Amino acid sequence: MTEPRAFSSDGQRYLDGEPTETLAPAERASADRLTRAVTAYAANLRAPDARLDRVVMRRVLAEAGPTHGGAWRWLLAPRMVRVRPAVLAIAAAAVLLLWWVSARPAAAPLVPATAARVPDTVLVRFELSAPDAHEVSLAGSFNRWEAPGIPLRRSSVPGLWTVTVPLAVGEQQYLFLVDGNRWIPDPTAHAQVDDGFGRRNSVIVVGPRGVARS
Amino acid sequence: MSERDGLADGEIVRRILDGETHLFEVLIRRYRTEFARYATALVGDTDQAADAMQEAFIRAYRSLASCRDPQRVKAWFFRILTNQCHDQRAKLRREVSLNGQDATARDRADAGVERAELRAAITRALTQLTPEQREAFVLRHVDGKTYEEMAVLLDTGVDALKMRVYRARDALRQHLEHLHD
Amino acid sequence: MNTLLLLALLASPAHGQQPDLAARLARRGAPPDFAQAVSQLAAEARAGGLPVEPLADKAFEGLAKGYAPDRILPVVQALVARLREGREAVVSAKLPHPPGALVAAAAEALGRGIGRAEIVEILQAAPTPTDAAVGLTVAASLAAQGIVPDDATRAVTDAYRHGHSSEDVLELPSVTSNWFAEGVGMPEVLKRIRSGGGLSFPPGLNRGTGAPPGDFPGKGPPINPPGKNKNPHHP
Repeated sequence: MTEPRAFSSDGQRYLDGEPTETLAPAERASADRLTRAVTAYAANLRAPDARLDRVVMRRVLAEAGPTHGGAWRWLLAPRMVRVRPAVLAIAAAAVLLLWWVSARPAAAPLVPATAARVPDTVLVRFELSAPDAHEVSLAGSFNRWEAPGIPLRRSSVPGLWTVTVPLAVGEQQYLFLVDGNRWIPDPTAHAQVDDGFGRRNSVIVVGPRGVARS
Repeated sequence: MSERDGLADGEIVRRILDGETHLFEVLIRRYRTEFARYATALVGDTDQAADAMQEAFIRAYRSLASCRDPQRVKAWFFRILTNQCHDQRAKLRREVSLNGQDATARDRADAGVERAELRAAITRALTQLTPEQREAFVLRHVDGKTYEEMAVLLDTGVDALKMRVYRARDALRQHLEHLHD
Repeated sequence: MNTLLLLALLASPAHGQQPDLAARLARRGAPPDFAQAVSQLAAEARAGGLPVEPLADKAFEGLAKGYAPDRILPVVQALVARLREGREAVVSAKLPHPPGALVAAAAEALGRGIGRAEIVEILQAAPTPTDAAVGLTVAASLAAQGIVPDDATRAVTDAYRHGHSSEDVLELPSVTSNWFAEGVGMPEVLKRIRSGGGLSFPPGLNRGTGAPPGDFPGKGPPINPPGKNKNPHHP
């Protein structure tokens, strides 16, 4: 077996293209052969071409999502857009439409989010037992605390008020508003947290597979 | 060349993080142009190198906000790419690879048998190097980068890089000489 | 007040630009000088790299709950301070340009007893900044549910380190809530959390090139950032 032969420091300098005068011919030949070999190798190298750019960009745009946001998503509440009630006669009808939209930090067209847009939004059911109430609604981070908020309806169970809303994945803070003037926490929420004003907000963490609570 | 092509890397990163996702394509083109040969030499196969590059770009995109210094995003990406190439190579080695044989057969059909043999010898020899030696050797001899440029990319001192390149040369020399044994 | 009526109009003239905060506050009945004061706070916050929408939300919340402006303003100021702390914590974990959602999540976590060191741990365990924001939110929620901050943090970091996704991590508060509802006591809940209970799917499926998470944010570029390999590419 041949003994490993290292290039001398002159040989290494020669291979780095620096001038050397005292290189032995055998070592010079060896260095030249190495250079020829690498040149041939490099010349034959077939590297990925511009088609790669397109493939990658397609994936990147798919990750960024339909509104082409940045490399991350805003995980907090979707924003409800309250369109100025251009006096349509719908006002007289008792038809309520909820549009939950995800606002982008950057300027981007608002897109109505529907429950079909899993994984971003999930249908969550809220209920409150308030047999003496005349009106119950729900306000919180998901509607920018706009009171009175989302109205609950009486359910078939006496005294029970319910509503199901699409919520963004992540944490939501909220309270029920009873008869327009009493803020009531949700006993079935995951937790109650300090609202900063000396009272408590209810908190749920919405996962893409829904919310489970007591 | 469009106006976007004149933007510095750091500026592009900032704008991507602000929401201009489409600008990522500029980085893709720049870095593919610069590192595709490196990736191919490191992985040893063009298609696998393309896979490694693709994966590296996607990981870079996902983690872009964590790049400490947007001005140095190239070196940051280079590290991601290098790791991806090593992973890809490790996978390749585990499979029964006939690539080496096929390449040699093709090469022999070319004119210049000696060049073909040398090429094949280099291809084989590169597999024997340590990952650090391979990286350094390819950057120096395939990409023609200076030691200073390599120091920036590999975040290593010039002297350490020279050692890696020297050792790689010695190992390759031995392989070439075995051709004539 | 009448029930809220929303019209099914797709194109809103206000789309794209968030109207001025002072104007939004005024629309909710805020007195002009209060609206200006909050707007000013928000501008300063924005200049400091802090997200502004949490401040807007806190002001809206105060108005909705019927508090007087001079009660609301200190609360908003306190929130600015906490956001600043949150941002510092994230930046100290070597993430120099944190997204607003991450800063907000860190601030909320700090407010619920998750310490700075724990925030850094979560940032290092999570594969991406988006995952880090999720991790912080979940840890904060677990803490609010009575789980000791240390265990809350570990539940999240262990999950990410074992290859779980944010989707899995987001389940933890629900699962914990269920246990309490079933009558499971705190010691047993803690035991289950510490042993990784509550994470539904075994990790390791479709994990792509499986290098262990490490070095995020780290002192160098992320080595093999694991990411969520939604499109697992198995060459």
